[in-house]
Amino acid sequence: MILNAPAPVSAVRIWDPLIRLIHWLMVLLVGVSWWTGENGELDYHRYSGYALLGLLVLRVFWGFFGSHSARFASFVKGPRAIAAYLRQLPARTAHTPAVPGHNPLGALSVIALLLAMATQVALGLFAVDVDGIESGPLSHLVSFDTGRTCAKLHHQLFDVLLALIALHVASVLFYLFYKRDNLIATMVHGRRALPAGSNDVRVPTGALVVGIALAAAVVWWIATA
Amino acid sequence: MLKRPGRITLCAIAAAIVVAAPLVAQGEQAAIYKIRHDAYHHLGDAFKTLRDQLRSDSPDVAALKSAAQTVHEASVNQFNWFPAGSGPAPGVKTRAKAEIWSQPQDFAAAQKLFAAEAEKLGKAAAASDVAAVKNQFGAVGKACKNCHDTFRTPED
Repeated sequence: MILNAPAPVSAVRIWDPLIRLIHWLMVLLVGVSWWTGENGELDYHRYSGYALLGLLVLRVFWGFFGSHSARFASFVKGPRAIAAYLRQLPARTAHTPAVPGHNPLGALSVIALLLAMATQVALGLFAVDVDGIESGPLSHLVSFDTGRTCAKLHHQLFDVLLALIALHVASVLFYLFYKRDNLIATMVHGRRALPAGSNDVRVPTGALVVGIALAAAVVWWIATA
Repeated sequence: MLKRPGRITLCAIAAAIVVAAPLVAQGEQAAIYKIRHDAYHHLGDAFKTLRDQLRSDSPDVAALKSAAQTVHEASVNQFNWFPAGSGPAPGVKTRAKAEIWSQPQDFAAAQKLFAAEAEKLGKAAAASDVAAVKNQFGAVGKACKNCHDTFRTPED
Protein backbone atom coordinates (compact mmCIF):
# COMPACT_ATOMS: atom_id res chain seq x y z
CA MET A 1 0.00 0.00 0.00
CA ILE A 2 1.30 3.43 -0.93
CA LEU A 3 1.83 5.71 2.05
CA ASN A 4 0.05 9.06 2.09
CA ALA A 5 -2.26 8.06 -0.71
CA PRO A 6 -5.21 10.44 -0.64
CA ALA A 7 -8.24 8.78 0.79
CA PRO A 8 -11.04 8.47 -1.74
CA VAL A 9 -13.46 11.35 -1.29
CA SER A 10 -16.83 12.31 -2.62
CA ALA A 11 -18.95 15.45 -2.47
CA VAL A 12 -21.47 14.86 0.25
CA ARG A 13 -24.36 17.16 1.13
CA ILE A 14 -23.76 18.23 4.74
CA TRP A 15 -26.14 21.24 4.92
CA ASP A 16 -29.76 20.71 4.00
CA PRO A 17 -31.51 23.30 1.79
CA LEU A 18 -33.51 24.73 4.71
CA ILE A 19 -30.48 25.50 6.88
CA ARG A 20 -28.79 27.23 3.92
CA LEU A 21 -31.91 29.22 3.10
CA ILE A 22 -32.28 30.28 6.76
CA HIS A 23 -28.61 31.29 6.88
CA TRP A 24 -28.69 33.51 3.79
CA LEU A 25 -32.10 34.99 4.60
CA MET A 26 -30.73 35.96 8.01
CA VAL A 27 -27.79 37.69 6.30
CA LEU A 28 -30.22 39.58 4.08
CA LEU A 29 -32.67 40.46 6.85
CA VAL A 30 -30.05 41.63 9.35
CA GLY A 31 -28.89 43.99 6.59
CA VAL A 32 -32.46 45.12 5.87
CA SER A 33 -33.13 45.63 9.59
CA TRP A 34 -29.95 47.65 9.95
CA TRP A 35 -30.74 49.93 7.02
CA THR A 36 -34.42 50.44 7.84
CA GLY A 37 -33.62 51.04 11.52
CA GLU A 38 -30.98 53.66 10.76
CA ASN A 39 -33.18 55.39 8.18
CA GLY A 40 -36.42 55.51 10.14
CA GLU A 41 -38.26 53.07 7.85
CA LEU A 42 -39.99 51.52 10.85
CA ASP A 43 -42.78 49.78 8.92
CA TYR A 44 -40.27 47.80 6.89
CA HIS A 45 -38.13 47.40 10.03
CA ARG A 46 -41.07 45.66 11.74
CA TYR A 47 -41.66 43.37 8.73
CA SER A 48 -37.99 42.48 8.66
CA GLY A 49 -38.13 41.75 12.39
CA TYR A 50 -41.17 39.50 11.95
CA ALA A 51 -39.36 37.58 9.22
CA LEU A 52 -36.29 37.18 11.44
CA LEU A 53 -38.51 36.06 14.30
CA GLY A 54 -40.01 33.35 12.09
CA LEU A 55 -36.57 32.23 10.91
CA LEU A 56 -35.29 32.07 14.50
CA VAL A 57 -38.26 29.97 15.63
CA LEU A 58 -37.76 27.66 12.66
CA ARG A 59 -33.98 27.44 13.28
CA VAL A 60 -34.43 26.54 16.94
CA PHE A 61 -37.11 23.98 16.07
CA TRP A 62 -34.80 22.59 13.38
CA GLY A 63 -32.08 22.41 16.03
CA PHE A 64 -34.13 19.75 17.81
CA PHE A 65 -36.15 18.05 15.08
CA GLY A 66 -34.30 18.91 11.85
CA SER A 67 -31.66 17.17 9.80
CA HIS A 68 -28.68 15.72 11.68
CA SER A 69 -26.10 18.48 11.08
CA ALA A 70 -28.63 21.14 12.10
CA ARG A 71 -29.34 19.59 15.51
CA PHE A 72 -27.78 21.28 18.52
CA ALA A 73 -27.12 17.89 20.06
CA SER A 74 -24.93 16.97 17.08
CA PHE A 75 -22.61 19.97 17.26
CA VAL A 76 -22.72 21.68 20.67
CA LYS A 77 -19.77 20.17 22.57
CA GLY A 78 -18.10 20.63 25.93
CA PRO A 79 -14.79 22.35 26.76
CA ARG A 80 -12.75 19.19 26.19
CA ALA A 81 -13.85 18.87 22.56
CA ILE A 82 -13.33 22.60 22.04
CA ALA A 83 -9.79 22.37 23.47
CA ALA A 84 -8.99 19.39 21.24
CA TYR A 85 -10.27 21.26 18.23
CA LEU A 86 -8.25 24.37 19.16
CA ARG A 87 -5.04 22.29 19.24
CA GLN A 88 -5.36 21.33 15.58
CA LEU A 89 -6.57 24.79 14.50
CA PRO A 90 -3.09 26.06 13.45
CA ALA A 91 -2.71 23.19 10.93
CA ARG A 92 -3.05 24.55 7.41
CA THR A 93 -5.35 21.79 6.26
CA ALA A 94 -9.07 21.43 6.17
CA HIS A 95 -10.45 19.74 9.24
CA THR A 96 -12.16 16.47 8.48
CA PRO A 97 -14.56 15.80 11.30
CA ALA A 98 -15.86 12.40 12.24
CA VAL A 99 -19.35 13.85 11.98
CA PRO A 100 -19.90 16.49 9.29
CA GLY A 101 -21.26 19.84 10.46
CA HIS A 102 -20.22 22.68 12.72
CA ASN A 103 -16.90 22.21 14.51
CA PRO A 104 -16.92 22.54 18.34
CA LEU A 105 -15.57 26.11 18.20
CA GLY A 106 -17.94 27.23 15.44
CA ALA A 107 -20.79 25.84 17.54
CA LEU A 108 -20.12 28.60 20.10
CA SER A 109 -20.42 31.15 17.30
CA VAL A 110 -23.72 29.65 16.14
CA ILE A 111 -25.15 29.73 19.67
CA ALA A 112 -23.89 33.26 20.35
CA LEU A 113 -25.33 34.58 17.07
CA LEU A 114 -28.69 32.88 17.61
CA LEU A 115 -28.90 34.16 21.20
CA ALA A 116 -27.94 37.70 20.20
CA MET A 117 -30.47 37.76 17.34
CA ALA A 118 -33.23 36.27 19.50
CA THR A 119 -32.61 38.84 22.26
CA GLN A 120 -32.46 41.61 19.69
CA VAL A 121 -35.81 40.58 18.16
CA ALA A 122 -37.38 40.18 21.63
CA LEU A 123 -36.27 43.70 22.64
CA GLY A 124 -37.66 45.06 19.39
CA LEU A 125 -41.09 43.60 20.14
CA PHE A 126 -41.36 45.84 23.23
CA ALA A 127 -39.44 48.89 22.00
CA VAL A 128 -41.04 52.34 21.83
CA ASP A 129 -39.58 55.36 20.05
CA VAL A 130 -38.89 58.64 21.83
CA ASP A 131 -42.16 60.18 20.58
CA GLY A 132 -44.39 57.26 21.54
CA ILE A 133 -45.42 56.96 17.88
CA GLU A 134 -43.44 54.02 16.51
CA SER A 135 -43.39 50.85 18.55
CA GLY A 136 -43.00 47.09 18.54
CA PRO A 137 -46.07 44.84 18.39
CA LEU A 138 -45.98 43.94 22.09
CA SER A 139 -45.15 47.44 23.40
CA HIS A 140 -48.70 47.93 24.65
CA LEU A 141 -47.88 45.39 27.38
CA VAL A 142 -45.18 47.65 28.91
CA SER A 143 -44.95 51.24 30.12
CA PHE A 144 -43.47 54.06 28.06
CA ASP A 145 -40.31 54.02 30.20
CA THR A 146 -39.85 50.26 29.89
CA GLY A 147 -40.44 50.52 26.15
CA ARG A 148 -37.80 53.26 25.95
CA THR A 149 -35.34 51.09 27.88
CA CYS A 150 -35.99 48.23 25.46
CA ALA A 151 -35.39 50.58 22.52
CA LYS A 152 -32.08 51.76 23.98
CA LEU A 153 -30.94 48.19 24.66
CA HIS A 154 -32.11 47.24 21.15
CA HIS A 155 -29.83 49.97 19.83
CA GLN A 156 -26.85 48.92 21.97
CA LEU A 157 -27.20 45.18 21.47
CA PHE A 158 -26.98 45.72 17.72
CA ASP A 159 -23.33 46.71 18.18
CA VAL A 160 -22.74 43.41 20.00
CA LEU A 161 -24.45 41.58 17.15
CA LEU A 162 -22.27 43.40 14.62
CA ALA A 163 -19.16 42.39 16.58
CA LEU A 164 -20.27 38.74 16.59
CA ILE A 165 -20.96 38.91 12.85
CA ALA A 166 -17.53 40.45 12.26
CA LEU A 167 -15.93 37.60 14.26
CA HIS A 168 -17.96 35.05 12.29
CA VAL A 169 -16.91 36.53 8.93
CA ALA A 170 -13.28 36.85 10.06
CA SER A 171 -13.28 33.16 11.07
CA VAL A 172 -14.72 32.10 7.73
CA LEU A 173 -12.04 34.15 5.95
CA PHE A 174 -9.37 32.54 8.18
CA TYR A 175 -10.58 29.14 7.00
CA LEU A 176 -10.63 30.31 3.38
CA PHE A 177 -7.17 31.87 3.22
CA TYR A 178 -5.21 30.13 5.96
CA LYS A 179 -6.71 26.67 5.96
CA ARG A 180 -7.76 26.66 2.28
CA ASP A 181 -11.18 25.52 3.33
CA ASN A 182 -14.05 27.27 1.54
CA LEU A 183 -16.91 27.21 4.04
CA ILE A 184 -18.80 29.91 2.13
CA ALA A 185 -19.22 27.72 -0.95
CA THR A 186 -20.34 24.86 1.29
CA MET A 187 -22.99 27.11 2.84
CA VAL A 188 -24.15 27.95 -0.72
CA HIS A 189 -24.34 24.51 -2.34
CA GLY A 190 -24.32 22.43 0.84
CA ARG A 191 -21.67 19.92 -0.30
CA ARG A 192 -18.27 19.11 1.13
CA ALA A 193 -15.59 16.60 0.16
CA LEU A 194 -15.78 13.80 2.68
CA PRO A 195 -14.43 10.24 2.78
CA ALA A 196 -16.27 8.06 0.30
CA GLY A 197 -19.18 6.27 1.84
CA SER A 198 -20.41 9.30 3.83
CA ASN A 199 -24.11 9.90 3.46
CA ASP A 200 -25.98 12.99 2.35
CA VAL A 201 -27.84 14.69 5.14
CA ARG A 202 -31.55 13.87 5.07
CA VAL A 203 -34.44 16.26 5.53
CA PRO A 204 -37.24 15.00 7.79
CA THR A 205 -40.23 16.21 5.75
CA GLY A 206 -42.77 15.93 8.54
CA ALA A 207 -40.64 18.06 10.86
CA LEU A 208 -40.20 20.60 8.06
CA VAL A 209 -43.97 21.06 7.73
CA VAL A 210 -44.46 21.30 11.50
CA GLY A 211 -41.55 23.74 11.87
CA ILE A 212 -42.80 26.11 9.16
CA ALA A 213 -46.34 26.00 10.57
CA LEU A 214 -45.02 26.72 14.08
CA ALA A 215 -42.88 29.65 12.91
CA ALA A 216 -45.78 31.13 10.94
CA ALA A 217 -48.13 30.72 13.92
CA VAL A 218 -45.73 32.45 16.34
CA VAL A 219 -45.21 35.39 13.96
CA TRP A 220 -48.94 35.73 13.26
CA TRP A 221 -49.79 35.56 16.96
CA ILE A 222 -47.26 38.25 17.89
CA ALA A 223 -47.88 40.53 14.91
CA THR A 224 -51.61 40.61 15.63
CA ALA A 225 -51.30 40.75 19.43
CA MET B 1 -23.12 100.14 67.73
CA LEU B 2 -22.59 98.20 64.55
CA LYS B 3 -19.39 98.80 62.76
CA ARG B 4 -19.83 99.92 59.19
CA PRO B 5 -18.67 97.22 56.81
CA GLY B 6 -15.10 97.69 55.78
CA ARG B 7 -13.92 98.18 52.24
CA ILE B 8 -12.71 94.60 51.97
CA THR B 9 -16.11 93.25 53.04
CA LEU B 10 -17.89 95.41 50.48
CA CYS B 11 -15.50 94.28 47.79
CA ALA B 12 -16.10 90.67 48.73
CA ILE B 13 -19.87 91.11 48.56
CA ALA B 14 -19.63 92.82 45.19
CA ALA B 15 -17.37 90.10 43.87
CA ALA B 16 -19.75 87.44 45.12
CA ILE B 17 -22.66 89.07 43.30
CA VAL B 18 -20.67 89.41 40.08
CA VAL B 19 -19.67 85.76 40.22
CA ALA B 20 -22.98 84.38 41.41
CA ALA B 21 -25.38 86.25 39.09
CA PRO B 22 -24.35 84.42 35.91
CA LEU B 23 -24.27 81.17 37.86
CA VAL B 24 -27.90 81.66 38.84
CA ALA B 25 -28.74 82.53 35.24
CA GLN B 26 -26.86 79.44 34.12
CA GLY B 27 -28.83 77.37 36.61
CA GLU B 28 -32.08 78.66 35.12
CA GLN B 29 -30.74 77.97 31.65
CA ALA B 30 -29.83 74.40 32.63
CA ALA B 31 -33.29 74.00 34.15
CA ILE B 32 -35.06 74.84 30.89
CA TYR B 33 -33.33 71.95 29.09
CA LYS B 34 -34.58 69.56 31.77
CA ILE B 35 -38.07 71.08 31.88
CA ARG B 36 -38.31 70.77 28.09
CA HIS B 37 -36.94 67.23 28.04
CA ASP B 38 -39.29 66.09 30.79
CA ALA B 39 -42.24 67.76 29.07
CA TYR B 40 -41.56 65.93 25.80
CA HIS B 41 -41.06 62.69 27.71
CA HIS B 42 -44.49 63.20 29.27
CA LEU B 43 -45.90 63.93 25.81
CA GLY B 44 -44.35 60.72 24.41
CA ASP B 45 -45.89 58.78 27.29
CA ALA B 46 -49.35 60.25 26.48
CA PHE B 47 -48.86 59.49 22.81
CA LYS B 48 -48.08 55.87 23.58
CA THR B 49 -51.29 55.66 25.64
CA LEU B 50 -53.31 57.01 22.72
CA ARG B 51 -51.66 54.58 20.34
CA ASP B 52 -52.10 51.59 22.66
CA GLN B 53 -55.78 52.40 23.26
CA LEU B 54 -56.53 53.09 19.60
CA ARG B 55 -55.17 49.74 18.47
CA SER B 56 -57.15 47.95 21.14
CA ASP B 57 -60.50 46.37 20.24
CA SER B 58 -62.15 48.11 23.20
CA PRO B 59 -60.35 51.41 23.84
CA ASP B 60 -60.51 52.87 27.35
CA VAL B 61 -62.23 56.20 26.66
CA ALA B 62 -61.18 57.70 30.01
CA ALA B 63 -57.54 56.93 29.22
CA LEU B 64 -57.97 58.43 25.73
CA LYS B 65 -59.46 61.60 27.20
CA SER B 66 -56.72 62.00 29.77
CA ALA B 67 -53.92 61.39 27.25
CA ALA B 68 -55.50 63.73 24.67
CA GLN B 69 -55.76 66.37 27.38
CA THR B 70 -52.03 65.95 28.14
CA VAL B 71 -51.20 66.35 24.43
CA HIS B 72 -53.39 69.42 24.18
CA GLU B 73 -51.80 71.02 27.25
CA ALA B 74 -48.33 70.31 25.90
CA SER B 75 -49.28 71.97 22.61
CA VAL B 76 -50.22 75.11 24.54
CA ASN B 77 -47.19 75.06 26.83
CA GLN B 78 -44.65 74.32 24.07
CA PHE B 79 -44.59 78.02 23.18
CA ASN B 80 -42.67 78.57 26.46
CA TRP B 81 -40.19 75.74 25.99
CA PHE B 82 -37.77 77.42 23.60
CA PRO B 83 -36.51 80.66 25.18
CA ALA B 84 -33.52 82.32 23.53
CA GLY B 85 -30.30 80.70 24.70
CA SER B 86 -31.74 77.21 25.21
CA GLY B 87 -30.32 75.83 21.99
CA PRO B 88 -27.40 73.55 21.24
CA ALA B 89 -24.29 74.54 23.19
CA PRO B 90 -21.07 72.85 24.25
CA GLY B 91 -21.64 70.49 27.15
CA VAL B 92 -25.42 70.54 26.71
CA LYS B 93 -27.41 67.47 25.73
CA THR B 94 -30.25 68.58 23.49
CA ARG B 95 -31.68 67.63 20.12
CA ALA B 96 -33.08 71.13 19.58
CA LYS B 97 -31.48 72.56 16.44
CA ALA B 98 -30.13 76.10 16.11
CA GLU B 99 -32.66 76.58 13.26
CA ILE B 100 -35.38 77.00 15.92
CA TRP B 101 -33.90 80.42 16.70
CA SER B 102 -32.47 81.25 13.26
CA GLN B 103 -35.78 80.55 11.47
CA PRO B 104 -38.27 81.74 14.10
CA GLN B 105 -41.17 82.21 11.68
CA ASP B 106 -40.93 78.68 10.27
CA PHE B 107 -40.62 77.30 13.79
CA ALA B 108 -43.64 79.27 15.00
CA ALA B 109 -45.65 77.94 12.04
CA ALA B 110 -44.69 74.36 12.97
CA GLN B 111 -45.64 75.00 16.60
CA LYS B 112 -49.00 76.48 15.56
CA LEU B 113 -49.76 73.47 13.35
CA PHE B 114 -49.18 71.15 16.33
CA ALA B 115 -51.32 73.39 18.56
CA ALA B 116 -54.18 73.41 16.03
CA GLU B 117 -54.15 69.63 15.49
CA ALA B 118 -53.80 68.93 19.23
CA GLU B 119 -56.77 71.14 19.98
CA LYS B 120 -58.90 69.11 17.55
CA LEU B 121 -57.62 65.93 19.20
CA GLY B 122 -58.65 67.24 22.60
CA LYS B 123 -62.14 68.10 21.32
CA ALA B 124 -62.62 64.71 19.68
CA ALA B 125 -61.59 62.97 22.91
CA ALA B 126 -63.77 65.23 25.05
CA ALA B 127 -66.71 64.22 22.82
CA SER B 128 -65.80 60.51 23.38
CA ASP B 129 -65.64 60.14 19.59
CA VAL B 130 -63.11 57.30 19.25
CA ALA B 131 -63.19 57.29 15.45
CA ALA B 132 -62.45 61.03 15.37
CA VAL B 133 -59.65 60.59 17.92
CA LYS B 134 -58.15 57.87 15.75
CA ASN B 135 -58.31 60.12 12.71
CA GLN B 136 -56.89 63.11 14.54
CA PHE B 137 -54.14 61.00 16.13
CA GLY B 138 -52.67 60.59 12.65
CA ALA B 139 -52.91 64.33 11.98
CA VAL B 140 -51.16 65.18 15.24
CA GLY B 141 -48.46 62.61 14.48
CA LYS B 142 -47.86 64.33 11.14
CA ALA B 143 -47.59 67.70 12.90
CA CYS B 144 -44.99 66.19 15.27
CA LYS B 145 -43.00 64.81 12.37
CA ASN B 146 -43.32 68.07 10.42
CA CYS B 147 -41.48 69.94 13.18
CA HIS B 148 -39.05 67.17 14.11
CA ASP B 149 -37.87 66.72 10.53
CA THR B 150 -36.63 70.31 10.40
CA PHE B 151 -35.95 71.38 13.97
CA ARG B 152 -34.72 68.25 15.78
CA THR B 153 -31.39 66.52 15.18
CA PRO B 154 -31.68 62.84 14.28
CA GLU B 155 -30.98 60.26 16.99
CA ASP B 156 -27.37 59.10 17.05
